[in-house]
Amino acid sequence: MLRGLGAAIGKDLRLLLRDRAGLVFLAVAPIVVITVAGFSLASLYGASVRGTAAYELPIADEDGGRVGHALVQGLADVPVVRLHPVATRDAARDLVRAHVAGAALVIPPGTSDAVVAGHGASLLLYTDPVKYLEVASVRVLVQELRHRVEEAARDRAAARLDKARTHARATGRRFERAAVRLRSERARVVDALAAARADAERRIEDARRRAAREIATALGAIAAEREAEARARLAVELAPLRQFFTELSARQDEFAAWLDAVRKQAGRFADGFPPPPAPPAIPPALLALATSDPAVLAARLVPAGTASFAPTLPRVELPAPPSLPALDLPALAEPPTLALPGALRIEEASVTGAPARLNTFDQNVPGFSITFLLLGMLLGVSLGLLDERDWGTLERLRAMPMPFATALVAKLLARFLVGVLQMLALFVLGWLAFGISLGPQPWALLLPTAGIVFAGTAFGLVVAGVARSREAVLPVGSIVIVTMAAVGGCWWPIDLEPPWMRQVALALPTTWAMAAFNDLMIRRQPLAAALRPTLVLFLHGLAYLALGLALFRRRAL
Amino acid sequence: MEPLIAVDRVVKTYGARTALAGVSFTVAPGAITGLLGPNGAGKSTTISIIATLLDADTGRVTVAGHRLPAEAAAARRVLGFVPQRLALYPTLTARENLHFFARMQGLAGSEAGAAVTRALALVALDGRADEPVAQFSGGMRRRLNLAAGILHRPRIVLLDEPTAGVDPQSRERIFEAVESLARDGAAVLYSTHYMEEAERLCGRVVLLDDGRVVATGTPDELIVQTGMTLSVRLRTARPLPTGWLDGAAGAHVIGDDHGAGIAVAVDDGGAVSRVLLAVVRAGGEVVELSVHHPNLADAFFHLTGRALRDEDGASA
Repeated sequence: MLRGLGAAIGKDLRLLLRDRAGLVFLAVAPIVVITVAGFSLASLYGASVRGTAAYELPIADEDGGRVGHALVQGLADVPVVRLHPVATRDAARDLVRAHVAGAALVIPPGTSDAVVAGHGASLLLYTDPVKYLEVASVRVLVQELRHRVEEAARDRAAARLDKARTHARATGRRFERAAVRLRSERARVVDALAAARADAERRIEDARRRAAREIATALGAIAAEREAEARARLAVELAPLRQFFTELSARQDEFAAWLDAVRKQAGRFADGFPPPPAPPAIPPALLALATSDPAVLAARLVPAGTASFAPTLPRVELPAPPSLPALDLPALAEPPTLALPGALRIEEASVTGAPARLNTFDQNVPGFSITFLLLGMLLGVSLGLLDERDWGTLERLRAMPMPFATALVAKLLARFLVGVLQMLALFVLGWLAFGISLGPQPWALLLPTAGIVFAGTAFGLVVAGVARSREAVLPVGSIVIVTMAAVGGCWWPIDLEPPWMRQVALALPTTWAMAAFNDLMIRRQPLAAALRPTLVLFLHGLAYLALGLALFRRRAL
Repeated sequence: MEPLIAVDRVVKTYGARTALAGVSFTVAPGAITGLLGPNGAGKSTTISIIATLLDADTGRVTVAGHRLPAEAAAARRVLGFVPQRLALYPTLTARENLHFFARMQGLAGSEAGAAVTRALALVALDGRADEPVAQFSGGMRRRLNLAAGILHRPRIVLLDEPTAGVDPQSRERIFEAVESLARDGAAVLYSTHYMEEAERLCGRVVLLDDGRVVATGTPDELIVQTGMTLSVRLRTARPLPTGWLDGAAGAHVIGDDHGAGIAVAVDDGGAVSRVLLAVVRAGGEVVELSVHHPNLADAFFHLTGRALRDEDGASA
């Protein structure tokens, strides 16, 4: 069995090698179509391929100023467009009318001045509505660039503002330092003045007290002398008064004794006597004066020391020192925070970490490889089996001891191997020539590759079973395969299709294969992302195999 | 000797059409048996049933003692099948074709190589072994087609019209190869509608018509069975008058299409000259004349009223 299997595989590989048209179809045709499609459809993804710009963009810089220069420079750096500078807007418009370009950009005169002056300005975009994708792409580019120019201007203004604020802050700090120094000097002057005044007042007070003491001393001496004289004269002066009071007291005693004697004599009549007139009362002070020791009195009236007179010298009031003007320096306010409105940017983050820009060949290489793989299966399996039927070799093989299934399996295996090699060769070529991504685990591509090749091989058997003749294979098979490839997202991203079509596409192996390749190559997912699609592909293959065997046995044997 | 092929009352139908209606015959080892009949007689169906490609509806078929279809796998090991169509890969060389079929016959590498060399020599293609089949003439392809069926030295060889469209040289090569196989003890069933081939090769002939065996035997036996004799066929410039052959002993008209030709049965070679003399006497002018010996085609026509081939019918 194995010997027969090997021989049959060898036979099918030889048949393929001798089939120049088949080889061209397997190897050359996909490369040509991938190349052409890759470059042709580059604009679909808005990306350039290997330095080739997707669109030509006429640009008329009538402004010649900073804005115009920035826009031209910015667009020149964008690989998606190839700038075509023209002198006037008419020339730009003519290129759009002549279908040379889908859009043309005009930077009107005065744009830069208006923007610098803070006024608005408009850019002019001539568009050809038929070239929708190109116009949309250019429009987005110009919008992005306009945002960039605006942002640069805003950044410059913000920088100038920051510089002014920094300068104001520095000036304020210098002013504050000067004010501090001034206040310090003023305080020092005030202190010096106060000290000088205090010193002057102290000196004056000392002088005044010294003068007072000297005056008092002189006055005391004079007073003591006069006191002694007064005392002597007082004693002399008070002597008759003292004499009088002594006599008065003796007489009053005598009157009282007399009265008592009268009364006694009057007996019962004494009660009827009016009281005698009362002599005037002697003022106590006078009595004291009269009874006091003249020395004591003199001492009391002229106390010792009282003669020492201490004159109160007038105080000398110094004139107030000149008042320094108050340093009422205003506090410098913090420069106002004039924040310009911030720019609203878009931070695009690929959820898988893959680059946002798509290499068009990342889509086209697997897509068209699958397409040609399936078409190759149509030729290799479907036509191959029908050829064998027509050649009569199937009949001969059926009459041989080796089970017929061996030959059939060998043909499917041979085409499977060829299909895998074809896919791998196209991936390697795409990697070398077009820089496609092979994902983080290039070997993981083998899984969906094996899956779609298996499904495609088995599908070839289905077509061989359905087609009544060799001539019917291409119409039947190619219609189905082309439809599967298109709907399955082999020729364009499946997301361009309406939702209902995407749902329908889930029934197609091409959809699952492209999903796996997109995950691995474009989204840079690991192997695990390809497991489910690969499983689905193998299930498709098994279903096709069962159906194909049933149909082929019924139709061809 | 026990036959290697035994077909017994085999019936095969395709829908409403009956391809075989109780066909029976045997083929002994070392014998070449012709399966002779016109197109549509059931030859290929019979060969296909023996080759295990078709199953009979009823009847019994044994191949080297293996009952079909139950023991088809065992039968295939002793069968060598040479289909009517050229069952070859046109882009492969003769050697590559034969080597592939040898492997599919179960021969191992060196054994397969030897078998290929032997088969190529047998059909005289060893000098062109490494050329693609697409470059071969029709005859060379037929020879290679034969070689592909006998690589494993089968005990039974089924040849389904193996010389169709073949030049005389290649035909002779094929005949030699078939005879060689028979000499080696193979039972050969040779399907053809060429009477000459059957007469040349086959020890026995099975005449098939419309799915039925109409006669079986050696070619001579079949001809004798018909009672047919020598005949003269002639064409004259003008129609001959009625009774023109009266008086010619040993000869009588067996067919006259009044202008296209006249067939006259003769008892022996002397009667031929008497027929010619009768034409002259009748004022006729002989434009064309041939002497015809009875053959299998005549026998078939005699038995079925139909020609083996269109051209046979025309001549008959």
